[in-house]
Amino acid sequence: MKTTALLAWRLLRRDMRYGELSILCVALIIAVSCSTAVNLFSDRMQRTMNSQAAEFLAADLVISSSDDMSQSWLDEAAKLQLKQAKTIEFPTALMENDELLLASVKAVSSLYPLRGQLKISDGSENEITTSQSPLEGEVWVEKRILPALKLNLGDMLNIGEKALKISKILTYEPDRQGDFYSMSARVMMNERDLAQAHVIQAGSRLHYSFQFSGDEKALKAFHDYVTPQLNASQRIIDIHQNRPEIGEALRRAESYLGLLSILVVLISGVAIAIATRRYTERHFNTVAVLRCLGYKQNQVMMLFVLQFLMLGFFTSALGCGIGVMAQHGLFYLLKSFLPATIAAPSLFSLLLGFLMGMTILFGFALPPLLQMRKVSILRVFQHQLENKTPSAWLVYGIALSLTSFFIWSYTDNLKMTAIIIGGGLLTLLILSFLLTHFLRYAKRFLPKIPLNWRFGVEALLRNPKISTVQILAFSVTLVAMILSYSVRTDLIKDWQLQLPANAPNHFAINIFPEQFEKISNDFKQQNIHSSGIYPVISGRLIAINDVAVQKIVSKETQGDRAIRRDLSLTWSAQLPEDNQIISGEWWNEMPVKNQVSIEEKLANSLGVKLGDNLTFTISNQQVIANVTSIRRLRWDTMKPNFYMVFSPTSLDNYPQTFLTSFFLPKEQKNLLNQLVKTYPNVTVLEVDFVLTQLKTIFTQLTAAINYILYFALFAGLTVLFAVIHASLDQRIYESALMRVLGANRALLRRTHLLEFALLGFFAGLLAVLISQVLLFALYHWALNLTYSPNLSLCVLTPFSSAFLVCLAGFSCVKSVTNKPLITILKEK
Amino acid sequence: MIETVNLGKTVFSPEGALQILKDVTLKIHEGESLAIIGTSGSGKSTLLGLLAGLDSPSTGCVILNGQNLTSMDEDGRAKMRNQFVGFVFQSFQLIASLTALENVMLPLELAGDKQAKSKASALLERVGLAHRLSHTPIKLSGGEQQRVALARAFVTQPAILFADEPTGNLDSKTGNHIIELLFELNQEQKTTLVLVTHDKELANRCNRKITLEAGAIL
Repeated sequence: MKTTALLAWRLLRRDMRYGELSILCVALIIAVSCSTAVNLFSDRMQRTMNSQAAEFLAADLVISSSDDMSQSWLDEAAKLQLKQAKTIEFPTALMENDELLLASVKAVSSLYPLRGQLKISDGSENEITTSQSPLEGEVWVEKRILPALKLNLGDMLNIGEKALKISKILTYEPDRQGDFYSMSARVMMNERDLAQAHVIQAGSRLHYSFQFSGDEKALKAFHDYVTPQLNASQRIIDIHQNRPEIGEALRRAESYLGLLSILVVLISGVAIAIATRRYTERHFNTVAVLRCLGYKQNQVMMLFVLQFLMLGFFTSALGCGIGVMAQHGLFYLLKSFLPATIAAPSLFSLLLGFLMGMTILFGFALPPLLQMRKVSILRVFQHQLENKTPSAWLVYGIALSLTSFFIWSYTDNLKMTAIIIGGGLLTLLILSFLLTHFLRYAKRFLPKIPLNWRFGVEALLRNPKISTVQILAFSVTLVAMILSYSVRTDLIKDWQLQLPANAPNHFAINIFPEQFEKISNDFKQQNIHSSGIYPVISGRLIAINDVAVQKIVSKETQGDRAIRRDLSLTWSAQLPEDNQIISGEWWNEMPVKNQVSIEEKLANSLGVKLGDNLTFTISNQQVIANVTSIRRLRWDTMKPNFYMVFSPTSLDNYPQTFLTSFFLPKEQKNLLNQLVKTYPNVTVLEVDFVLTQLKTIFTQLTAAINYILYFALFAGLTVLFAVIHASLDQRIYESALMRVLGANRALLRRTHLLEFALLGFFAGLLAVLISQVLLFALYHWALNLTYSPNLSLCVLTPFSSAFLVCLAGFSCVKSVTNKPLITILKEK
Repeated sequence: MIETVNLGKTVFSPEGALQILKDVTLKIHEGESLAIIGTSGSGKSTLLGLLAGLDSPSTGCVILNGQNLTSMDEDGRAKMRNQFVGFVFQSFQLIASLTALENVMLPLELAGDKQAKSKASALLERVGLAHRLSHTPIKLSGGEQQRVALARAFVTQPAILFADEPTGNLDSKTGNHIIELLFELNQEQKTTLVLVTHDKELANRCNRKITLEAGAIL
């Protein structure tokens, strides 16, 4: 073994010295550095995004409760060295200068906020960002409170029995929820002043929020410790469960990054497989000589495996180093787009990059390497003797298993992995069969092609099997690039659609039925775009198919929370905008009374199916409605959304008000005063700050995703060059021979141009076909996006691919056309 | 037909400059057959490569058919090769993915000859391979491959034929058969023949022979 290892080392050094391994090394370094850089970048971005999302919680983990928290939990958090903060929110009526205003007071502890920052101002336009909360004896208020209560900055404001000085205007708090039921004017005070205010009494409606931040492991330990002890009024929230609109954006971004890692691995794998194939083919004669010298098949195999292990070790280490530098460079380039503090690189990601390098190398290099075992000893007599190739199942099985493993770890769904791999394999087999036969058939038409062009076409048709393999290799690389581009583009487009420039930034609630028509007309006259006016009726779900809901629903689920409070019910003749029926049917023009459409996630949580009967209590009366459809909602559109939508006339006999959301640009904000004066009962809530929060996070996610995409596209292009370079030997030799026989450079250039262009064009065409099938599957099953083919991309891809392959091929061929012919012929 | 004046070739490696050929001056007349002999490493193949315009000299010049090869660019030399020159190599140098017929057709196609197929078939028949037209090189024996190479070399009816160890990769019986064929075709087409060989018997069949040693003519 020691002798074999020593020999492997010597052979490796020789091969390195003579440049035999340079292409493989370059491909490997690209693969490892790319996947390390993407891994490190994704990991750091992911953790940064999480901490950004944590800002919207003002912590990493929050326990929300209607009671104070048990001391033992706080002790446990302290033991785990978690930072702690506490907020108590409650509604209160403020009365100053004979003016009355309902406000939402938030008493905060000194460490609040643990994540993110508050924004305050001293009355001017300039905002100050701060991590401090109000001092004892001071209070920060939202701007609208001052004119409403005829107060100025510096005046005293009475909260219960305590007078507090208004020291700042509060303009932003990171954890303020977009929920319009809690959107009364905000007052923020120090928790220590709360006792003297005497506003908290038995029966007060309080909302406690216990916030924690710290090490991920400690947070998980605390989560696991607390979860089994939670009572019905307590809820644990982390960044993923916090706000559905941000959770969804994060989930998609993470999905995209995961997808990108697989694609980079796949692109690199193609390059490694091809580079190794070239390497092994050039070593068949060496193997035959070694066998002659007494080496056994297994020893030969061991010799090359050891060489690849050594090569993999050094190249992966080097690739990791380059990857680290590349991602530092990336963050440097991105610094103006990204948050000031970026999570530190983790050693685990680096190690993962190294292991990934070794795995990619062996997963994709082993199949061609296995050919070494089958080299005939008779090659010492006849160099061109064909090898017996190892079983196709063995050769492709390894690469396939590795790809399956990556897809499985990405989708976490065995069935879907089987569908993707099975479908992909079947598609590749069918396409390679069709392509080989097409190329064979096309050969018949060669004599009809003008002589000038014939050589180029002939070069492609000469060996249909090899051309098929090359076309498919380029296709797979292009598919990976198309997927990276398309998913990114549609993801961003979806975010932009979700929050267009005129996304509603106001909610108007408590509109009386008799005002319904008038307010609608007013909106039309003022050119205000509203997202529809909906009736709101309060009601509670009490039974499903006559069984009490408490007996059906498990604790701490969405369903559990839904049955513990009144739901806002509505009725509508039309399916609300952005709602999608996923099963059942929306009622027709003559709807039957007492039908209901339920939101998908709540239906799943409650176990409700089509045809079930739901019983509600509304104003002390019972209403039974039959579930006729299940809807999918977008909670992130700033439009009114409802868990339950009834058929028209079902709720006619119950007291109802109306609500709507609408967009008002800054310059039209004065219309609000008019609206409030005309309809004094209507409460108008401004939600611009929620929109700003969402837009900020989407902009940052978009910037990060764009740059990772450019990185992947660059990797794809580099690999494209490497793949062409690895397949040049035969082309160079044949060109040399043609030059010997009298072909001039113009003819050779034309030949190469046509061959590369055809290769690229066919590869592009196939890539479009495969990628569109995969995109449909991905959007449908993994990313929850709507698939629509990008026609310009479909048309442009074959031509761009032809151009790219020509460019790559030409640059590789050009460098060798100046070599003396005699040298090229001798090298063969 | 061919003339060289002070022809020299020096290559550079990490160990320093190495002079492979020095001051070779010779004349080869039309219809003549010349054997270049010498030990391994004496510069025979390098000289052949320079005479045929497959490589550029470091010093001196090669005049082929009255034209200075050394002053021509690669395209000019390619045109010369296509019009006047045929090659036979020790390792056959056939394109593996083309059939025997396609390999022989190739130089004719490059010259734009519309009769390429019939001419190539006829010559393959002449070398005894009429039954192997659609076989790729890998399916042919060494002798058969060299016969295809001979057909390819003669199919354009070149004025000069360069042969580099044409029997080097063949057993003596097959080698003899190839040599017979080579000289027969040479006679038929009145070609000037320049061949590099170790084989004294083969060298003796040529009109003239020169011996190279350490890059110089003895």
